[in-house]
Amino acid sequence: MNPPTPAVPAAEAKACCAAVYGSDVVALLLGDSYHPGGLALTRWLAGRLGLRSGGAVLDVASGRGATALLLAGEYGADVTGVDLSEANVAAATDAARRAGLAATARFRLGDAERMPVPDAAFDVVVCECAFCTFLDKPTAAAELARALRPGGRLGLTDVTVEADRLPAELSGLGGWIACVADARPLDEYVGILTAAGLRVIATERHDAAVATMLDQIEARLALVRMTARDRAEAAGLDLGRAPAVLSAARAAIADGVIGYALLVAVKP
Amino acid sequence: MTAVEPVPTAVREPVVAPPVKRDRDEIFVEYTKSICPVCKVVVDGQVNIRDDKVYLRKRCREHGQFEALVYGDAQMYLDSARFNKPGTIPLTFQTEVVDGCPSDCGLCPEHKQHACLGIIEVNTGCNLDCPICFADSGHQPDGYSITLEQCERMLDTFVASEGEAEVVMFSGGEPTIHRQILEFIDAAQARPIKAVNVNTNGIRLASDKRFVTALGERNRPGRAVNVYLQFDGFDERTHRQIRGRDLRQIKQKALDNCAEAGLTVTLVAAVERGLNDHELGAIIEYGLAHPAVRSVSFQPVTHSGRHVEFDPLTRLTNSDIIHGIAAQRPDWFTASDFFPVPCCFPTCRSITYLLTEGTPGEPGFGLVPIPRLLNVADHLDYVSNRVVPDHAVREALEKLWSASAFMGTDTTQEKLAAAAAALDCADACGVNLPEAIADLTDRAFMIVIQDFQDPYTLNVKQLMKCCVEEITPDGRMIPFCAYNSVGYREQVREQMSGVPVADVVPNAAPLQPVLIDSPYGSKIVHGTDTCRDNGGGAGRIAPDSTNVGRRLR
Repeated sequence: MNPPTPAVPAAEAKACCAAVYGSDVVALLLGDSYHPGGLALTRWLAGRLGLRSGGAVLDVASGRGATALLLAGEYGADVTGVDLSEANVAAATDAARRAGLAATARFRLGDAERMPVPDAAFDVVVCECAFCTFLDKPTAAAELARALRPGGRLGLTDVTVEADRLPAELSGLGGWIACVADARPLDEYVGILTAAGLRVIATERHDAAVATMLDQIEARLALVRMTARDRAEAAGLDLGRAPAVLSAARAAIADGVIGYALLVAVKP
Repeated sequence: MTAVEPVPTAVREPVVAPPVKRDRDEIFVEYTKSICPVCKVVVDGQVNIRDDKVYLRKRCREHGQFEALVYGDAQMYLDSARFNKPGTIPLTFQTEVVDGCPSDCGLCPEHKQHACLGIIEVNTGCNLDCPICFADSGHQPDGYSITLEQCERMLDTFVASEGEAEVVMFSGGEPTIHRQILEFIDAAQARPIKAVNVNTNGIRLASDKRFVTALGERNRPGRAVNVYLQFDGFDERTHRQIRGRDLRQIKQKALDNCAEAGLTVTLVAAVERGLNDHELGAIIEYGLAHPAVRSVSFQPVTHSGRHVEFDPLTRLTNSDIIHGIAAQRPDWFTASDFFPVPCCFPTCRSITYLLTEGTPGEPGFGLVPIPRLLNVADHLDYVSNRVVPDHAVREALEKLWSASAFMGTDTTQEKLAAAAAALDCADACGVNLPEAIADLTDRAFMIVIQDFQDPYTLNVKQLMKCCVEEITPDGRMIPFCAYNSVGYREQVREQMSGVPVADVVPNAAPLQPVLIDSPYGSKIVHGTDTCRDNGGGAGRIAPDSTNVGRRLR
């Protein structure tokens, strides 16, 4: 595998992604709806966005709807969730109905690079731990900007990676990081959003959130080892290497090479 | 009259700095009610944080000021507040509100929670005379044993209050030496009570295999019988100081007999600072390796009844045990693996669950604390989460983080499997993790940490939401810590045995000058050996002397 430099050709990254998603290692280790920081960081983000009751919110890559339901239920927002997975849209719609929020939290199938939403329709757009997975980031950023009304705010949280400083132990995971999380350094995210016509007004680091995510990966790896070692290894998970990789990842977090960031941008 | 103004003398003296206001060395966080540990009169209490620790302080008009450590980690104490759920109203109350908490037990209509666990003490007699025994039991000629008829009435009280009850625990004394204990279990199983726990020192389990078999036969689907085995550690010193005898071989034999009879066992350790608090990790490890053991319960020694002399300011608390476990088995645990239990007051009890594979010390052993697999906080935080991520998962977790959770019961088993569904990654990698965990749950392991209150630490705020109730022969359900601290235990024993029982006072270092021995080895105060006539209450339980009910003028 190549290290996850921008030099990785898009085709190769796509093939790699397909392989990784095909083997579902990500779903196995993180679940379908996990994002670092959990609901606590979502609330923090909501505070940064000045969310008001009745405000129109777009949740991009809404998963099973945890964020959308929180914003609808606790902040009185009117939320539209868009997700690439039909199963997620169904699960989120069902969760909204059970929470009595069907009127203010709706979900539809859609790709972040071609979102089925009108122009300038939203006061707030949120995108949690998903931007890093979008292959065509400039297009996705332009879509986020398109959905916002002038003066509207984008709240984005995501994994950050300083690819050229990744330790050798993690380079073998280059493909994993390049595609599962085609994550960039914080300033690159700022650059991409700026190029899309947004003005970034705040950035914050929340690196502890990604350390907690590693704890979960470690716990799930231990569980896989206990319950289904053979099948997991057949699917390409190298359990023997996992402890060394995890400890290198922890060191990388401590050194600021891997992290988690929050960005707030406004559409002029 | 206007003589010459006296020349201020101060100007000729050395300059004295003006007085400067100083800060207190503590942060005041709660105002509450407690009792005087000496006379049991209800007094005002205040909770303060000092040096990152939480203390309860109160003052009795007659006996002066008392202070005790209630939580060793102030941050953890404050963080726990959000793990608090609305109580459930029991179907019946047994008493009325007359004087207020804790004088009206119980349960009175002001009580905030139903009974997750009901305790029936079947006797005061015991085949041990442990130096540490909150029930003040032993080889005593003047105690009492309940009859089958009384037991049935107590069970009916419990069922009337709960409808379908989760768990009843038979305790004592030593319940296994009651001649009718099996009939009591049968009586419980004939009622809508899902599980029976037998709280025992294990002596009979070690020596009487027919009895163990009889217990095993009663352990059946929908009507579990589990063993709650006193188990304090492995050092001979631990046994001699806590139990007065080296019981190590007896415990081993009792556990092996339970395994043979298919009984599920909780190891229950009374933990005292400087005595066996170094054995936490070893007890967990031993439990993980023994086929009968599915959980461990650590309880800081309750300084009610009989116990060794202690310092209330350095006593063990839940957070000390949690940090102790993490320090003694750092490869397995961190303090954040433990979560407060929301059904009772969250500072009373903390729990974690483990999934394990294999035997500790052998190759291939694996251990994962369940809170690392799913976000327990997002589900059990009832204060900031107005939108629950998944109601089925919350329901499962709230049954697991409950005083009614015991390994070996159907409810706990079902809810562990349901919680596994929260791992939203079915069939990834050809591995169905939720399903794999569901298969693992029959080997899941629970660790409970419970700090029961004593006359020093009693906080009415916690008592009002207690969900562990002592069922009395006269048909009351009294919160466990009120029963042991406020004077109800002495009242019931006196009523049942006909022998006067003085109020037991903690064997605390600051109280040594006023303490004398009770006939049962506990401590009482000289001059109170007849009965509760202290503080002007005319025999009432815990008369109130707080600053209520009087006008300034």
